[in-house]
Amino acid sequence: MDQMQLIKRTLDIRKGGEKAALATIIRTKGSTPRKTGSRMIVFPCGRVEGTIGGGCGEAEVIEEAFQVIQTNTPSQKRVDLTKGLFYEDGGICGGIMDVFIEPI
Amino acid sequence: MSRNLFAKLEESINNRKDTFLLTITEYPDEKLIGAKALLWPDGEFCTEASLLPLDVRDLLSIHCNKLVTKKRSGTVRFMWKDRLIECFAEYFPSPLHLIVAGAGHVCEPVAEMGRLLGFFVTVIDDRKEFANRERFPNANEVVCQSYLDYFRHVDITEKTYILLLTRGHKYDVLSLNELLKREFQAGYIGMIGSRRRISGVFEEIQRDFPHESFENLYTPVGLDIGAETPAEIAVSIMAEILKVKNQKSGDSLSSQIKRFAKMGFHEGAGKWTKCSL
Repeated sequence: MDQMQLIKRTLDIRKGGEKAALATIIRTKGSTPRKTGSRMIVFPCGRVEGTIGGGCGEAEVIEEAFQVIQTNTPSQKRVDLTKGLFYEDGGICGGIMDVFIEPI
Repeated sequence: MSRNLFAKLEESINNRKDTFLLTITEYPDEKLIGAKALLWPDGEFCTEASLLPLDVRDLLSIHCNKLVTKKRSGTVRFMWKDRLIECFAEYFPSPLHLIVAGAGHVCEPVAEMGRLLGFFVTVIDDRKEFANRERFPNANEVVCQSYLDYFRHVDITEKTYILLLTRGHKYDVLSLNELLKREFQAGYIGMIGSRRRISGVFEEIQRDFPHESFENLYTPVGLDIGAETPAEIAVSIMAEILKVKNQKSGDSLSSQIKRFAKMGFHEGAGKWTKCSL
């Protein structure tokens, strides 16, 4: 169960005393690369485990996650994929997703 | 999430109970943002956040009820004392239960594939040399018990899929008898065996259970793909199980297209026209 594995990872990370943040897609509208409940762990060095869809949207969330780790305060980030950005890889999704980011 | 709550979630899924994980994503008191709770379809509620007021717990249960009924994840928002509360409720469906009776050669790839496909896999055999962890490192459960005792007491719902692959046909038949006596019927029962042997068994069982429709009984087991080795048989069996679970035909997806090919329709390089139909 993929759903469980990343949650379990957060427990191990916390036990190891490492700092990181967990990002979870909690709401989607329109076409998004991944579904509600998809998760990603972000480390301060920029390393990630799991994915919430990749691309620019994920990069925005990673930026926000650094803030969450620094301030140790959860936050929400809206990722808007409707603004006709023509990504080079052609991966255009026309939706919006809300991502909840919490410190581990 | 605390280790304790996670253990509860894991235990609940292992006990094959549908479970919802709640995360508070918006709350007047910032300390509670990120707080977690578990909610079950029977209304049971469990949280690690001792600061969460009782009336909020009740409101959470009430507002999540719609998602629980629909069996899907989602986010609920409601007002409490003129302040907004938002909660993400994530659905953890209990996995389908695949019981493989008979821990022989075919059982090994079947148990592996069952796990790959997301089933909660139980292997049962009455011989210790076969029903052990060394042989089935990835199964969720390995049980060494007599087939009759096991099938007399095991939980059975429409989410239970049973394979009877025991070493002797009589064990299969005895197990089947036990299963047909149960109040709730499994979603799928597959029994291995040659056509000839099975027809004899069927006559006998039909005498004992005249009102049974045997809609959920598949024997000989598997789809007709010419499977011979244990791995091939496992593919044939698991393909049939998916077919039943997903309520599909089990035909080749291309068979629909081939019908059009006869009418002169062809796609891409036009390979279809070269097919002998």
